[in-house]
Amino acid sequence: MGRVSTPSPIEVDEPATDEVTELDRPWVTIVWNDPVNLMSYVAYVFKSYFGYDDATANDLMMKVHHDGRAVVATGPREEMERHVQAMHEYGLWATLQRDDA
Amino acid sequence: MRAFERRKRDRVRAEFERAEAELLVNLLGQVIELLRDRNAPEESSPDPLFGQLGTTASSLPPEDPVLRRLLPDAYRDDDDSAADFRRFTERSLSTAKVENAQALVASLAAGGFDLDDPEQSVDPIEVELGERGAQAWLRSLTDVRLALAVRLGIESEEDAEAAAESDDPSVAVVVDIYEWLGFVQESLVQALD
Repeated sequence: MGRVSTPSPIEVDEPATDEVTELDRPWVTIVWNDPVNLMSYVAYVFKSYFGYDDATANDLMMKVHHDGRAVVATGPREEMERHVQAMHEYGLWATLQRDDA
Repeated sequence: MRAFERRKRDRVRAEFERAEAELLVNLLGQVIELLRDRNAPEESSPDPLFGQLGTTASSLPPEDPVLRRLLPDAYRDDDDSAADFRRFTERSLSTAKVENAQALVASLAAGGFDLDDPEQSVDPIEVELGERGAQAWLRSLTDVRLALAVRLGIESEEDAEAAAESDDPSVAVVVDIYEWLGFVQESLVQALD
């Protein structure tokens, strides 16, 4: 990545493409299932913090409950870090990572 | 206890028996103490100046399992990023949690709970919350429930069921408190929703 030497067009093109793809891949905030938090509370947090409507917040909560995890937000890394910090203040178990989809 | 109910626009109200308020204050006090111990500068810090500047902020997860649940890693499979994130944010997260717990205690005091001499408290204690107070209660009730769940060894739905059916009286007492806190929180969510 980012080498300056031997700028042959062939050698530069391919890594550059990979790098752009990597940078374009967004980050996601994931909320994980836990046996403590009430379903009503989790849905309430999704609604009041992220501003989701009732149906979306409920769907996400059920996804966390049944699948063990759900992506609740997508975007730049710094924004996802803020979301994770906020989720931790609510007591939800959240992490961020690059979108692996 | 009389469960939370919406009173006027943006205000909710509940009533707690004196013993319930005392229990809440005790539990919150334990959470506050745990978080403060985590935040305290290391006494063995080689350079007190750096300690004061906050440069001793830990990048390692807490050893205490309750603290590890209250202050979890932000990255799952990336220890370096998790350490960086913790170094820069853990203190503000734990401070926010302490402030939420203090706000809850303050609203019980405002409702007539005597922190110095609980016996002198009014009974019941009436709690009325605006939006900010309600948010502090929601978060802090969650923190206390998370702490009790860790102490009860609840890591899965099966663990929760096993704890609820335990014959051990010392477990049953904690489970009762844990479930009561769930009831308080559920009523608050319903009142706000």
